[in-house]
Amino acid sequence: MAEAAQSPATVGAFRHVGFFYRTPAEYADTVAGFLGAGLAADEPAFAAVPPGKISLIADALGADARHVEFADMTEIGRNPAWIIPRVEAFADRHPGRRVRYVGEPVWAARPPAELREATRHEALVNLAFAGADAEILCPYDVAALGPAVLADARRTHPLLLSDGRPGTSRDYAVPFHLPSSCSRPLPAPPYIAMSYTYRTDLSRVRALVLKHAKEAGLPDARANDLVLAVSEAAANTLRHTRSSGTLTIWQDPNEIICEIHDEGVITDPLAGRRRPPPDALGGHGLWLVHQVCDLVELRSDSSGTTIRMHMWIPRPRSAG
Amino acid sequence: MWYNSGVDLLTTSVATVESDSEPYTLVELTGEADVTNCDALRDVLDGEVAKQPPMLILDLGGLRFMDSSALHVILRANRVMDRQGGVLALASPREPVAKMLRLTAADQLIPVYASVADATAG
Repeated sequence: MAEAAQSPATVGAFRHVGFFYRTPAEYADTVAGFLGAGLAADEPAFAAVPPGKISLIADALGADARHVEFADMTEIGRNPAWIIPRVEAFADRHPGRRVRYVGEPVWAARPPAELREATRHEALVNLAFAGADAEILCPYDVAALGPAVLADARRTHPLLLSDGRPGTSRDYAVPFHLPSSCSRPLPAPPYIAMSYTYRTDLSRVRALVLKHAKEAGLPDARANDLVLAVSEAAANTLRHTRSSGTLTIWQDPNEIICEIHDEGVITDPLAGRRRPPPDALGGHGLWLVHQVCDLVELRSDSSGTTIRMHMWIPRPRSAG
Repeated sequence: MWYNSGVDLLTTSVATVESDSEPYTLVELTGEADVTNCDALRDVLDGEVAKQPPMLILDLGGLRFMDSSALHVILRANRVMDRQGGVLALASPREPVAKMLRLTAADQLIPVYASVADATAG
């Protein structure tokens, strides 16, 4: 099996498995089995899944469940860019030990922009954890997810577990590249969007964002978060290009979206997705952009960079 | 740098305070500190750090906004203060600035106090 030995699936100790499941029973058995095997080998285990799945896994694990760290993926992975630093933080708390992680960032009800970013996250896991002493299992609900989403899962996971059979994915991209669904240019903003071209007037950029954020109904703290994110993205235009940038703002009933476009080029696909050391004198800008927003879409190629920052608008609680 | 034009957005005032315990230097920042005026901020802080005060307190109470470029200037000043055996402290950040200090974990490198009085009390 010389071919298998050279596949990325077996290079180093890192394993990233896409688990295609059909029934809750299959889900519970497999995920609990995966976590239980880790506990038996004294490997710290972390599971971030949608809230309804936590009890399913915990019931199947029984008493062992208390040794697993659980998190609600709809919270910690609301913005999928938060997941990699969260898993890295878990691993950092257990230095020198192989860790197991179950991550389910893809579910059927996610809107298209979130699904694109969850797919991007899955692809970036292979870069972020290359060579790490870790085993990652990512459940995909075959009955609920569309064929395009499942096709992307085959592209982003070097290993697959489907119909109970483990194997390598023939569709996994080597060398690394992002699936086209999450790397092609973003859909254009609506024609009614507001646009503003800035050079050095970042204070004006911040004032515009604050005004629109408040009009959209963001609470003060979230409005300030959006101001920080947009200002950091626009500051990169000044730091890294000699030309102007464009701020575009629009909203729909669910969210306000601010986009910064400039001629800069960001080559590191993990930029802003790893916590910079506190005393680093760079790299905090994109980290802050990703940390404070509900969703960030970043696309960059030789023609320039677009950073689209989403903030959810809280709904008034309906009676009853 | 060509973009360092937003100097008027940020004002700094410096005072040397002879307190009962130990003298300290107080730098008050007012306005918005960002990439467009961080060179001016660096000049002010470099000048004060070079005088080797035992304690340098940055009063952020008047700061409406701070970005990561301004943070890097402060982190750099903190390194030098450390090397000199002095202490850099931040006082009275408003919530947006305080949150940014938490998200970057800068608040774990540099002590952050609710007020200048708290900072001088150590």
